[in-house]
Order: sequence, then structure tokens, then C-alpha cells
Amino acid sequence: MHAHAGAPLSRRRFLARSAGGAAAGAASLNGCALKVAGAATGGGESITMMVKLDDISTELIQQAQKELGIRITVVADDITRLIAMLTSGRPPDLVRGIGALDTPYFVARGVAENLDPYFARSTVLDVDDLDPANDLWRYDGTTQGKGPRYGMAKDFSQDAMYWYDTSHFDTAGVEYPSDTEPITYEEWLDKARRLVRRKNGQTSVYGGSYNGLGLGILFTSMTAAAGGSLFSADFSRVDFTTPEARRALTWYVDYAKAKVGPSLIQPNPDGWDGPTYVADRMAMSGNGYWLGGMINAEPKVAKVSRLAPAPVFEGGPRLSSCQGGTGMWMPRKARNKDAAWRVFEWFFGEGPAKARAEGGWGIPTLKSLRPLMPDKEDHQKRVLKVQKAELKHFSVTPFTPYAKWDALEALINQVVPAALNGQISVDTLAGRLNSVINEQLKRGKEQVG
Amino acid sequence: MTVGQIPSVASRPRSAAGTGGARSAELPRSSVTARRHRAFYLFTSPWIIGFLLLTAGPMGYALWLSFTTFDGISPHWRYVGLGNYRELLSDPVTWDSLSRAGVFALTSVPLSIVAGLGLAVLVNRPLRARGLFRTLLYLPAVVPPVGAGLIFKQLFNRDSGAANGVLHLVGIDAVAWLDDPYARYVILMAVLWGAGNIMIISLAGLQDVPRELHEAARIDGASTWRAFRSITVPLLSPVLLFQAVTGMIASVQTIMPLLIASNPGPAGVTSIPQTNYMYMMHVFAQYFALGRYGYASALLWVLFVLILIVTGLIFKATSGVVFYNVDPEAKK
Repeated sequence: MHAHAGAPLSRRRFLARSAGGAAAGAASLNGCALKVAGAATGGGESITMMVKLDDISTELIQQAQKELGIRITVVADDITRLIAMLTSGRPPDLVRGIGALDTPYFVARGVAENLDPYFARSTVLDVDDLDPANDLWRYDGTTQGKGPRYGMAKDFSQDAMYWYDTSHFDTAGVEYPSDTEPITYEEWLDKARRLVRRKNGQTSVYGGSYNGLGLGILFTSMTAAAGGSLFSADFSRVDFTTPEARRALTWYVDYAKAKVGPSLIQPNPDGWDGPTYVADRMAMSGNGYWLGGMINAEPKVAKVSRLAPAPVFEGGPRLSSCQGGTGMWMPRKARNKDAAWRVFEWFFGEGPAKARAEGGWGIPTLKSLRPLMPDKEDHQKRVLKVQKAELKHFSVTPFTPYAKWDALEALINQVVPAALNGQISVDTLAGRLNSVINEQLKRGKEQVG
Repeated sequence: MTVGQIPSVASRPRSAAGTGGARSAELPRSSVTARRHRAFYLFTSPWIIGFLLLTAGPMGYALWLSFTTFDGISPHWRYVGLGNYRELLSDPVTWDSLSRAGVFALTSVPLSIVAGLGLAVLVNRPLRARGLFRTLLYLPAVVPPVGAGLIFKQLFNRDSGAANGVLHLVGIDAVAWLDDPYARYVILMAVLWGAGNIMIISLAGLQDVPRELHEAARIDGASTWRAFRSITVPLLSPVLLFQAVTGMIASVQTIMPLLIASNPGPAGVTSIPQTNYMYMMHVFAQYFALGRYGYASALLWVLFVLILIVTGLIFKATSGVVFYNVDPEAKK
């Protein structure tokens, strides 16, 4: 029955019409989204990049448009948004990622594009020129570091190395670490204890900070440095109860209890080491070469700063892993792959890559760009010498495909504080970590299939 | 015709008592009703459409997700029926975080109401520069939660915060305010800092209390406290009930100050002190750090139902206590 004009609108009909209106509204919203995205894709000369806003400046975006004729729309890096875009089938064309941690996860879920064919035909990015650090972006379905390339690092560091400020060592009368021989983790902690300065319960100078890029990757790397492996051979389980993993856990618990530097239970008010270190309030900072980009910008700090080899565990192998390898990957469903690849080549192999190499923000991922690394000043030469020697010990610490790294990080953050506050033993901590993380990995394995 | 010659509305025939009446006499009754319905629905439809799009739709979608293992990206997610609900019933972290949120609501809501009401009583008195005081006391309530959170984070930082600076002046060693067991008090202070909102609503209620009642009480020899207890509070009870209900709903969903106090990034959510790891932080962690959209949606639905139940209980418990100033004739 059709309502005649002027007839009262029944509630049922009204709700039906509202639902229709809502659907139309949703469609029009979608239309708006299409329009925005369409502007970015029209003619294949626009792409969308999901990056951190300081990865690519406005000037670089304008430069790309000028040099490549490609307009870049930047979307802020956000995993939730990325998942929403991937799920809706309209992903960005290039996405920021951490090679060491993201590669297995995204490849195992079939959302990353195999870039081997692109590299094969590239005249800018020669595979032979790629630094081995780019192998963090390779995954063959079981092993990270092998198989097709799914991305590339924009720069890298050996993140277990650390910077130190000689002025604090002089003040405290602590011997400088060697430029060539690594000290042990225990020696590092001992130095930090002697370097920390406190007054009225407040820390005025941190003795040292050593938290890695996150505790998950820190424990993975430290377990490897102790001669073991945190993950099982198929990466479906972790075991924190092995002697090597316990050694890593025990060291971090001791470090946090000593309160010599920022930790999970005593976070850095500055958010991370960089500002604290250059403000002369941190004697040692567990960050690799890339922190030099910030240090070089402060000549006074740069002159008294040195880089030291990654610590080792007594009796353990000498490893110096890259815990990040931050770069970009291309989603399999990207709509403008050719344009995206041109931007990719430009970003990783041309002007922006050269500018990064000259700034000291990490080691260039193309061997041919290494001569651009800063080495004019004496202190820069010294740092570069230490860094080049350390490259011999470069290692890849494979990560699991069955969990997002921040999921493991979140679980670790939840469980570890009880041990750092002395409420549970390291053994109990190891058991709890095994329990919660293996449960997450089990769920992940079921979902990947 | 002069003004004096215009017949009063009451004396005019009913059908001609105004333009509307004249027009309704010309139009069929059903047409008028239809027009009124259309006008009503026309004006409410933006809200209804918004509700369907932005509330009912997402809620329905979340309900569906709560029956799955969906994580947003993995190919083999599946339907698990009530599996997520069964899991949350046996998840100690869920219950611990819920009980923390409950304790926080039981503490922060009464304290906020008392603080807001106290301030309202103060600025309702004939003070000099009363407007200035009202503005100053309300100002914190208009500071965005992000700004307020950051201010508190800096104020109570162990190494560089002003709170420890004051303690240092009186010879007391620095306190790790943002760690357990003090962190909960900092969050409570952050909530109380925004009591200006409650003050404004209470002030409006206070100004609605008839002055004659207080004068009569004073003549009868009632003390100020007695007058406040027996006149002001009963007349303010609907306002207080409103604040209790909305305050309870907001406090169990508290997340912003907690989020700001955490390390940046989804994984940082779980690094906040245990005493501040409340229900919404648990939900946030499940969604954005662990990627468990299904489980997190189940958590949200359980919270929604619990809020409905608690709200109902509050209304029931206060039904004989709250005084509604309703015109008895209007009820007929």
C-alpha cells in the first residue's frame, strides 16, 4: 500500500526512511572518500603515503611533485587506520614500517607486495648496491632475511650500540669504554651506577638508558647476544625460561631496580633519550648511529660524544643487531603501484636519501651513499670509524609473523613491572611472559592459517 | 480598529482564536496532523540519521564483531559465538580493571559532586568580584582533557615536576607521583580539577531555590546548615542525581588522562601504573595493541549493559529521595 500525499508518516515508515537516509548518507560519505582518494589517484600521478609527518617534509612533497610530477597525499602513520584502509580495500600506496618487526607480520597476511620485479627493472635501486640491512625486509614465509623483498629501509643503525658523553665520565672519574672492544652488559650497568647523579630523591643526570626500540625486540636481541633464541624454530612460541633469556631478563630487572636510567616503571619525562641526552642529562644512551643526526646538530654535545660497540654477555657471541630498519613497503592492493615505485626509488635512492646520509640520521641503506656520511670534524671521524668496525658484527634477529610487535610489547609492558618493583622473581616473570605471549602467538597462528 | 476594540482571545470563538485555528478550520484535520508529523520528523531526522549512522550502526557492527576472532587483517578469522564473552568472564585482568574503574567511580563521583556543590555555594554568596571567581573556578573545566593531562604529567613528574619542587622546599624527598601507589591520587586530582563543570550546574540549581523558603526557615530559627540540609539539598536533588548518573557513566569510561600518562603508542597503554589500568584502558589495549577487535567489542558491550543496569539501579534507589518540582496540574 502506498501512502497518499499528506498522509501521516507512520513511525515504522519514518524509521525505514531514516534508515534509507542513513544508507544514502553513508553512500555519500563514501562518495566523498572516493572523491578525495580519486583526486589522489587520477591519471596515476598521485599517491597516498602513510608515514610519520617528519619522514617527509612539505618541501620534499613539493620537490617530488616538481621532479617526478607525482602529487603525494600524506596520511599520518597509524596502525588502526592502516588496518581500516587495508580492510576496505583502499590502502595507501606506500606505508611506513619497521623492517625488523613488521615484515613477517604483513607478508604472512598476504597484504604486502613482492617488490622483486620492481627492483629487477629499476635503474635507481641496484640490488647489488643494497646494504644487507635491507634483508630485514625479506621473508620467504618461514625465515626473515631470505626470500623476496617487500620493502626497503631508509637508513639503519646497530641499535645495541650506545652513545656516551665524555664530560659526565670525566666528572664521575669513570673510564671511557673502548672504541673497538665491547664491554659486557654487567660492566655497562656498573658504569651507569657510577655515573648517575641524584639529589633529594631526584635524578639530575641519568647514568645510562638501555631500553632498545622496545622491550620485546630488546629481549629478543639480548637473548641472541647471550647465545640463545627467544623464539622456537617455527616462531610459534617464545621461551623466557631458557638460561639465555633469563640472563636478558635478569639484566633488565637489575637495570630498572638500580634506577640508573629510564625504564618501564620510571619513564623518561622527555619521552625518549634524544632530548635528555643533548640537554646534558644522560651519560650513556643505548641508541645506535642514527642518534648522531640529533647530536651533530648540537656542536657542543657532539664534541664530547662518542659511540661505543654494542655490549656483549660474558661467554656470548659478539652480535650487533639492527632492531629497526625503518622504511616503507607497498600494499598488494595499492592502486598506483607504478607511481608509488617511482616515489619509492626517489625517496630511497635519490635526493632525500642523499640528504639523510649527509645528516647522520642512520647509515645509508645504499652502499654507494656511504661516502656521504658526516666525517668532517674529528669527533665525526671517530664515530664513523667505530661504526664501520661494528658493521662486521651486524646481525638480523628474526621476528615472529604471528603477532604484531606492539602486541608483544603491550603484553610485556603489562607483566614486567611486577618484577621491576620486586613483587615477583625473574623465574615467575619468565613463566608469566611465556603464558601470555604464547597465547597471543597461538591465536595469531590460527588466524594466519 | 483601535487596540481597545480588539476582542480578547478568550472571548473569540474557538475556531477563530488565531491564524492557526482559522487555517485548521479550512484544512482537513488529517492534513494538519500529517504536516505536524512531517515537521517533527523533519526536524528530528538529522539526529535520527546521525544516530543510525554513528551510533546504532557501529554498535551493531561491534556486536557482530564480538562474536568473532576478527583482528582487522588476518585472513582466517572466524565466528566463535559467545566465546569472547566466556573468555572475559574468566579473564582476571578484565575483572581487576573493572573493579578499579568501579572504585574510581565510587570515589571520584561523590568527591566531584561535593567539591562542585561546595564551590557553587561559595560563589552563590554575595562576594566581591563574584563573577571573576566564578570564571576562574570554571576555567579548568574548559581546558581540553589533553592539555589537562599533559599539565598534570609535568606537574607530578618525579625529576622535574613542581609538586616535588614544593616538597623539596619543606625538606621532603621527591615522590614518584606517577608510579604506584600514588598514581591513582594524581588521576583523582586531575578529575577534581575539572569540578567547575559541576559547580556551574549546581549554581544554576541553587539560584532556582526560592529565597522565601530560606527566609521562612530563618524566621523559624533554623541554622544555616539545617536550612542547607533540609531545603537546598532536597531542591537540588534532581541536579545532584543528574550529576551522579552522568558522572558515573563518564568515570567508568575515563581514558584520556590515563592515556596521556602512558608511553606513546598503542603498546604504551599497558605500561601505566597498575592502579590506573582501568576498564577502558584494557579495552583500548585489546583493540589497538593486541588487535583483538572481537574480544574488545565484547568488553564494550558488557560495559554498555553494566552501565544500563547501574543507571537503572541508581534511579530506583533514589526514586523516593529525589524531589521533582512538577506542577501537579501538569500531570493531569
